[in-house]
Amino acid sequence: MIEGIAIALLVCLVFAGISKKAKFPPIPAYMIAGLLLGAGGLGIVGQNEVSDFLAEAGLLFLLFTMGLELRPDEIYGQGRSFILSGTIDLGINILAGYSVALLIGFPVNDAIVIACAFYISSSAMAVASLIENRKLAAPESDTILWVMVFEDIMLLLIIVFLSSGGKSAAATITTAIVLIFAFFILCYLFSRNISHVLGRYEDLGLLFTFTAVIVAGAVAFLLGIPATLVAIALGSALSLTKPEVLERHAKPFRDVFLVIFFVFFGISVDLSGGFPFVDVILISIAAVISKLVSSLVIGKAMHKNYLSGIEIWSETTARGEFSLAIAATFGNPLVSGTVAVMVLLTSVVGGLMGRYSGRMKRYLKKKKGR
Amino acid sequence: MSFVSRDMPGIGTKYELDTEDGDRVSIVYMEDEGVQLYVRSGEGDYCSADLTPPEARRIGNVLTGAILETEEEEICMVFSSFADLKIKMHTYKLGDRTAGRTISDLNIRKSTGVTIVAVSRKGESIINPPATFVFERGDSVLVIGNPEQMKNFEEEFVR
Repeated sequence: MIEGIAIALLVCLVFAGISKKAKFPPIPAYMIAGLLLGAGGLGIVGQNEVSDFLAEAGLLFLLFTMGLELRPDEIYGQGRSFILSGTIDLGINILAGYSVALLIGFPVNDAIVIACAFYISSSAMAVASLIENRKLAAPESDTILWVMVFEDIMLLLIIVFLSSGGKSAAATITTAIVLIFAFFILCYLFSRNISHVLGRYEDLGLLFTFTAVIVAGAVAFLLGIPATLVAIALGSALSLTKPEVLERHAKPFRDVFLVIFFVFFGISVDLSGGFPFVDVILISIAAVISKLVSSLVIGKAMHKNYLSGIEIWSETTARGEFSLAIAATFGNPLVSGTVAVMVLLTSVVGGLMGRYSGRMKRYLKKKKGR
Repeated sequence: MSFVSRDMPGIGTKYELDTEDGDRVSIVYMEDEGVQLYVRSGEGDYCSADLTPPEARRIGNVLTGAILETEEEEICMVFSSFADLKIKMHTYKLGDRTAGRTISDLNIRKSTGVTIVAVSRKGESIINPPATFVFERGDSVLVIGNPEQMKNFEEEFVR
């Protein structure tokens, strides 16, 4: 059991080194490592209980830290442009993803899951690319980051929506809402105590953070609602205390466990034996084009300039961790395979575009000038 | 002319300043330590630098006028509340001229205007030495004063 995880981690370590050297996002590299090792590749490493737990923990820490960034007071102050750009992104991409998935022949339920994974961009890759490619001064980078926040909020709704599909929808939603309120009230009441512990004692704070995330998973299991949802809600509620300390504690766990999540996602996917590659590549191309359309509209609406849209496009094309999270939680093997390939292709395309968007814009400007 | 700050979710905080001449300086404080500095000229040329926190502090010091010239062992300080005052601190190694004599003997304050803040002897520092303090050959002194007083001190006791 443990030797499989060790092999997977060693391969990831090598791949992470290569991706750092090449200044390329590591997420596709981890997935390729998984594909090579797993059932569809060499078949050396398989999933087991331990890897499942670690991968799940990676997802929970990811969504917990995402929740910490969802500070209700800050989002409330964003106003109209935030809602407008987020809604354009949501509307165009969900519709495009859903239509393409249906056209290719996926049943309605799978098409909905694919549409959600198709819509949501990778915040991790966008943030890394904006820093790496020195784009933080550009006004578009603010728009991009707030679109990512809007997508995070939508992810919360998507999880509620998708998980209420099976049994009684009303019960799931009610449980979720009651739980979220309970978290906020508890965090509000104990805000001073929690802040005290987090601000004062490093070791105790670390244990608090880890325990909070694992307890979120347990509560979700007991109540029969998705753990991902509980993790986001808990993170958002705890942002009332000392979010920067919680983030500092949760980040190392997240970063390590997420690598396990990515590589074992790759391991679980079997792309051999009649996998519909042509269809999936078509979906991936559509995923790139549909973000182009939504970004051009956002660029025009926010910055009065289509070239700004190119910049937004280059940073939001990559799908990543959240698409995989949706597929892992709600998808069947075929959907997971589809999303895996889509993430792989769009993240490579997006990674390249993030780097060369400046040249692309200069070229377009010249052409326009003629 | 003031900084506009913006929250950048997932990254940190951006501070932007538009200068009178139409240039823009943007400083991004990143959550996981580190600062990115961007300057865009009025013509639209961009340049940027990725700074560690110590580098950012150094640049900040230079910009506020408190230049640290470590190679000469001299600090020039300007305090915002004493904007017209330029204080220098300088270290000197003393030679034969002062050996065996006290601070009051040499009449340092009266003749040059500087104050001896500390003396370093064989690696040990004596802060605020008394007027009766006797110098030895090879002592280092840390003196404080304005640039003119500093020049006086150099001419009289160091060269």
